[in-house]
Amino acid sequence: MIQLLQTTAADNSFMLRDGKIFLVMTVVCIVLVGLFLYVASIDKKISQLEK
Amino acid sequence: MLRAKWWKILSFVLLLYTCTYGFIVKVPKLDDRMRESIRNMFFHVPMWFGMMILFFVSLVYAIKYLRNANPVHDVYSNAFATMGLVFGVLGIITGALWANYQWGSPWVGDPKQNGAAIALLIYFAYFVLRGSLLDTEKRARLSAVYNVFSFFMLFPTLWILPRLTESLHPGGQGSEGNPGINGKDMSANMRTVFYPAVIGWTLLGVWITTLQIRLQLFKLKKEGLL
Repeated sequence: MIQLLQTTAADNSFMLRDGKIFLVMTVVCIVLVGLFLYVASIDKKISQLEK
Repeated sequence: MLRAKWWKILSFVLLLYTCTYGFIVKVPKLDDRMRESIRNMFFHVPMWFGMMILFFVSLVYAIKYLRNANPVHDVYSNAFATMGLVFGVLGIITGALWANYQWGSPWVGDPKQNGAAIALLIYFAYFVLRGSLLDTEKRARLSAVYNVFSFFMLFPTLWILPRLTESLHPGGQGSEGNPGINGKDMSANMRTVFYPAVIGWTLLGVWITTLQIRLQLFKLKKEGLL
């Protein structure tokens, strides 16, 4: 089992490197993209209202 | 400008850069307590920069309103002050979280923490004032006057008093110059993320502000007040 985990770790080295900081980075980026998509959609709705 | 797209995309690009390179960039190892948490510089500090910029724009529109009594300028001034306050609240919450791990308690009575809290309370009163007046013209005029006062209260509370005494924040007694503008206190690596972060977060704030402005102007037009 440990061996299996280690091989998986080697395969996903990017996400697990440096104390999994890149996992946090990816989570933050997903939040950011979601936030921007939401703001952009409100922008679009207001543009439609104005027309 | 309200509807232009390029700076909204710029904001997204800069923040994506901040949220990726900000985690990777090499930071100086200051002490065993600070460690990686110095990266909060890319998230906590831009909230305050953004707040100051948005409050300044709010002040400009308040003065414009006082000169020509155009209700559109009141809408602008109010929207910028609202978003500035959102940034300030986020700044104080993130600061308390960081302080808990760096200084041992969320609120240590640091002069800059206290000053920031006072500054925010002064701005909260701006919205209390607005909410208490029903006559739109009176509300716009009084709140514009109060806006000028509250902006100039940022000078003592944030920019002067915390720098005259010992402070846990950078720029207290004994340190040279202005830590906000004099970037020499920050490593060159960190500056390559810090300034884009400030611009990115501020532009996001401006974008959300423009949405508020457009909505309010639309409402006024619909009610035939404009």
